[in-house]
Amino acid sequence: MIRYILTRLFRAMITIALVVTFAFVVLRLSGDPAVIILGPEAPPDAIAAFRKAWGLDQPVWVQYLDYFAAIFRGDLGISMRDGRPAIDLVMERIPATLALTLPALMLKLALGVPAGVYAALHQGTAFDRSVMIGAVFGFAIPSFVLALVLVLIFAVTLGWLPSGGRDTIWHAILPVLTLGAGGAAALARFTRSAMLEVLGRPYIRTASAKGLPWAAVVRGHALPNAAIPTVTLIGFLVGSLIAGAVVVESVFSWPGVGRLLVVAVANRDLAVVQCILLLVAATMVTSNLIVDFLYGALDPRLRHGATAGA
Amino acid sequence: MTDIYPTAAAPAPARKRLLPQMPWYVALGMGWIGTMILVALLSELITPFSFTAMDLKYRLVGPFQTLTHPLGTDELGRDVLSRLIVSIRVSLLIAFGATIISAVLGTTLGFLAAHFRGLVEQAVLMLADFQAALPFLILALSVLAFFGNSLPLLIGLMGLYGWERYARIARGLAISASAQGYATAITQLGAQPTRVYLRHILPNIASTLIVSMTLVFPEVILLESGLSFLGLGVQPPMTSLGNMVGYGREYITRAAWIMLAPSTVIVLTTLAVSLVGDWLRDKLDPTLG
Repeated sequence: MIRYILTRLFRAMITIALVVTFAFVVLRLSGDPAVIILGPEAPPDAIAAFRKAWGLDQPVWVQYLDYFAAIFRGDLGISMRDGRPAIDLVMERIPATLALTLPALMLKLALGVPAGVYAALHQGTAFDRSVMIGAVFGFAIPSFVLALVLVLIFAVTLGWLPSGGRDTIWHAILPVLTLGAGGAAALARFTRSAMLEVLGRPYIRTASAKGLPWAAVVRGHALPNAAIPTVTLIGFLVGSLIAGAVVVESVFSWPGVGRLLVVAVANRDLAVVQCILLLVAATMVTSNLIVDFLYGALDPRLRHGATAGA
Repeated sequence: MTDIYPTAAAPAPARKRLLPQMPWYVALGMGWIGTMILVALLSELITPFSFTAMDLKYRLVGPFQTLTHPLGTDELGRDVLSRLIVSIRVSLLIAFGATIISAVLGTTLGFLAAHFRGLVEQAVLMLADFQAALPFLILALSVLAFFGNSLPLLIGLMGLYGWERYARIARGLAISASAQGYATAITQLGAQPTRVYLRHILPNIASTLIVSMTLVFPEVILLESGLSFLGLGVQPPMTSLGNMVGYGREYITRAAWIMLAPSTVIVLTTLAVSLVGDWLRDKLDPTLG
């Protein structure tokens, strides 16, 4: 078990290092920062002074190590747009994003998991079929189309809800609904197939055959085993709490991290983009790591030294 | 293959067996995909107007009101039907290009990992981990922020989407195939590794790869339309389905049809490809998740 945790930790750190390397390489490939910041008409001695001040005259590997060190100090550069540290700009947007993505995650879990379990237990019924149809549509309808159709119905035609902004709790309803509906459908479909797979296993038949009531078989044998793959997907959903609302925030003019990212990309505000990139990767890797640890708790086979997925 | 069926009549029963098994919605899906491909191929012949032509006398005309503009016009009097046809062509071109790039890239890396094992394999698996750690939309947005935007870059970028799935599949299948008799036999006969992989292993795992392509393709359409919707994908004056929705969003209160026409095409196309893909998966390879 300790070996398992250490391996996972090591892989997570390698992944983060790869993301930082990616950001560094892309940043350097995109042009000379001195020229980008000072402009192409800057006098050569100003450019040389700038390079010296920021360590750009050093060999690339020294710059690379400096870059790593700066990131570990929490120094992620200055926004070119308004001159404030990029990390502050990003951090102050996080509550707004979480105000959408956390309720949406609750909605996904509350609708998706029970619907998937119920559909699997009643395979072939009308309910099962409607869950599957809902899941196919949930996948095929992109979030911006769903968002705009909801705006068209509830804001433009009926006039019940506001179409954008973040002033009252009513403003959050349409974005949360947009985020939650598609995710719930995907989660339901995934839970259903995980559950069906488990229900087909011999140990379920054994448990039934030895006379356990069906409810006890489902509670004691089917649900815990189906939880293992489902937790992976939930981990992914938790990991995308920060990055998952880019499109929806843009449609509803919601001042969150996603909206900031789109504006920063359009303005080529590289420090902010890079800061969000690292933050998202860190969230994703952390939640994957937690999922891996949860596996250890959920799946006794892992505690006894077997490898995941074997 | 033809030598096994010496009579011309032999393939016919196979087709007869296949058709009744195809549910009506899969047939509809295939019909829709076929129509979209035809529209994309013939777009220059069938657009009634140039997609940039403005007709200022007919601005914001609703759909089904005049015969000249059956799907209506936008704020600048541009014909929505013509723009839709060109958008279908651009979006399909990007999606096809990206799906093929990603399949070739992923399969190649998977084969390399299976052939060399050791360090190469670890490197490929690490890259796959990296890809999984970053939501693709965020990755794509950062690359676009750093490098600016152009159509080839956009196709190349979309071509990075989903490669890790092909790589995992190709690696796993190639490892198990090289343990099987046919690959060993052809290696013993002195065939080069490229020949073993491309002529012998690839045809054997092609059906699984094709099914994966049908799963990735609609996701690429959704990604491209999402990026273009945000104004960061295909750039005007060029148009794509997502672009049209993004533009039509400005007129949602007065002229919702500008946004509804491309939205319908996006939804129907992804729906059709996923239905056909799911059906193909059940037919060809039920083991794929």
